[in-house]
Amino acid sequence: MRHKTNLVMMVMALLVACAFVMSSCAKKQVKVSKGAQPAVQQPTAPAGGEGQQPTAAPKKVEAGVTPEYQKAEAERQARLKELAAKQKLLDEIREFENEKIYFDFDKSDLKPEARAVLRKKADWLLKHPEYSVRIEGNCDERGTNEYNLALGQRRADSAKKFLVTLGVDEARISTISYGEERPADPRHNEEAWAKNRRDEFKLIK
Amino acid sequence: MKSTLHIVLLVLTAFVSIVPPTWARIYIDINAPSISKFKVAVADFHNLGRAHEQPELSRKFADVISHDLDLSGYFSPIDRKAFLEDKDEGITLEAINFKNWSVIGAELLVKGGYTVIGNHVEVVARLFDTYRGKQIMGKRFLGRITSYRWLAHRLSNEIIRMLTGQDSMFLTRLGYVDTTTGHKEIRVSDYDGYNSRAITSDGSIALSPRFSPDGTRILYTSYKDGRPKLYLRDLRSGVCRVLSQRKGLNIGAAWTPDGKGVALTLSIKGNPDIFLIDLNGRILKRLTSNWGIDVSPSFSPDGKKMAFVSNRSGSPQIYVKTLENGHSRRLTFDGNYNTSPSWSRLNRIVYTSMNHGSFDIFTIDPGGGEPRQLTEGAGNNEDPCWSPDGKYIVFSSNRLGRYHLYIMTANGQNQRRISSGKGEQTAPSWGPAIP
Repeated sequence: MRHKTNLVMMVMALLVACAFVMSSCAKKQVKVSKGAQPAVQQPTAPAGGEGQQPTAAPKKVEAGVTPEYQKAEAERQARLKELAAKQKLLDEIREFENEKIYFDFDKSDLKPEARAVLRKKADWLLKHPEYSVRIEGNCDERGTNEYNLALGQRRADSAKKFLVTLGVDEARISTISYGEERPADPRHNEEAWAKNRRDEFKLIK
Repeated sequence: MKSTLHIVLLVLTAFVSIVPPTWARIYIDINAPSISKFKVAVADFHNLGRAHEQPELSRKFADVISHDLDLSGYFSPIDRKAFLEDKDEGITLEAINFKNWSVIGAELLVKGGYTVIGNHVEVVARLFDTYRGKQIMGKRFLGRITSYRWLAHRLSNEIIRMLTGQDSMFLTRLGYVDTTTGHKEIRVSDYDGYNSRAITSDGSIALSPRFSPDGTRILYTSYKDGRPKLYLRDLRSGVCRVLSQRKGLNIGAAWTPDGKGVALTLSIKGNPDIFLIDLNGRILKRLTSNWGIDVSPSFSPDGKKMAFVSNRSGSPQIYVKTLENGHSRRLTFDGNYNTSPSWSRLNRIVYTSMNHGSFDIFTIDPGGGEPRQLTEGAGNNEDPCWSPDGKYIVFSSNRLGRYHLYIMTANGQNQRRISSGKGEQTAPSWGPAIP
């Protein structure tokens, strides 16, 4: 009994301590844009860097902020901005690569929805000239392997041609066909087939 | 059945004058509308050597020969449970009680024996006409015990050669795509699916194997370098080299009948077209140029024409191109998906066609005419390929749920599954017997 009480008290003490530490941390942490990494630098730390002992006794700041603080804060904000931008780019890349275009059975012409998706992709590519794109043409499992390889190539090439007409440099676009070899959905029904007749897009820097 | 054999024997006697020394030539016309199968009994082989040596070969030789004869489509082997054979009945003409065999309906009887010598075995087989009580063939072969299937296939081949005057398919081989490892790899096996061995083990996607006309080399497309390139592998040395690695597609190769050229689909001009290259990979000629997809070339036996698939009409159909004048003619008009043409040595084209949502195998005269349907109501049937002699077709079918290989006669009879294994087997190529 006694041991148990002690244990409970210890746990409670620990929880209180944790709560205190966390709340003090939370106070120091400035809001970070969603998904971004938490700041690496503590804003109160002097610009001198980690692990370095203060050279003299810490100066008392009565009101306002020191120049060191301002500098550290500016750097922190810049870093946060950079992280947010990086995250935004990652999100965009993920969205770009996740958004596929789909085809009808035995067809390689672009449907209106596919054109809309490709217009978005062209805009993005024009804004990010440092990226190239690889278009992968795929088919459903029905039909002949060789014909499907050719059909997959045509599907990739259809998307490529459209991106080129929208102003994307041809040299930035490569194509490959996987025919029916890489189904997105391995089932053998209409629903799966519709998902498998697709172009996928991979960004390469 | 009895009468069939007699008719055949009558035909045979007519042939005696033409083919003097080997009297036993029975002419079987496999292109006849229907073939009555001969009932054949294959007795367990006798161990003519020491009793304890390889006793299981007794059953194995009989099983392989019986299986061969069944796959040939000319025979209907009788289940050994029906045999009335006296256990000690010998394998010579004098020792056989033919009544015991004719009474169970056997028109032909195969008997044989073997002697083990170290790691080799000598095997002898004899073929008897049970109604006439005559021996019509006797053959003896020596080989390694581990190659007992090959020895049995050779004996079966002698039986077919005796009865038809031509070699069988029993010593031929198949190349195909197998998914057992979870990847697509090329394997080569005996014609009956046994003795399979891996040709590729790249852990990638290997497709469309094609034996050279002499059977010593195999072409295939593989993604092992990340994109579809055409590879040529020497089956004896195992040496493999890239034959075509142009930008885009390098797929669906077909050998020219002389084995000196390869037709394949390239997309270098921005559109899948068929080109002819030499064995150094140089382009000799562009064979099609069209806005649509052109794939799957297959040459006529004289090499003057080429069947291929094109969707220039809006759907994939089979066309025949006369190479001399460049003229292409559409061959198939039924349905809107006809692909995978294979041109036989006996001048017939086999292909697969989408028929009410599933794929079936058809044949057609290269000059046109009515297609003949060979498979029906049994899953999807695809990738047909002729045997080197043009008498049989190997194809893949998912009639049992997953894709496996099957063979049938040129008119669609005697459909038999031949491949086994955990994975799926597709895209067969049929290579000749290696001398």
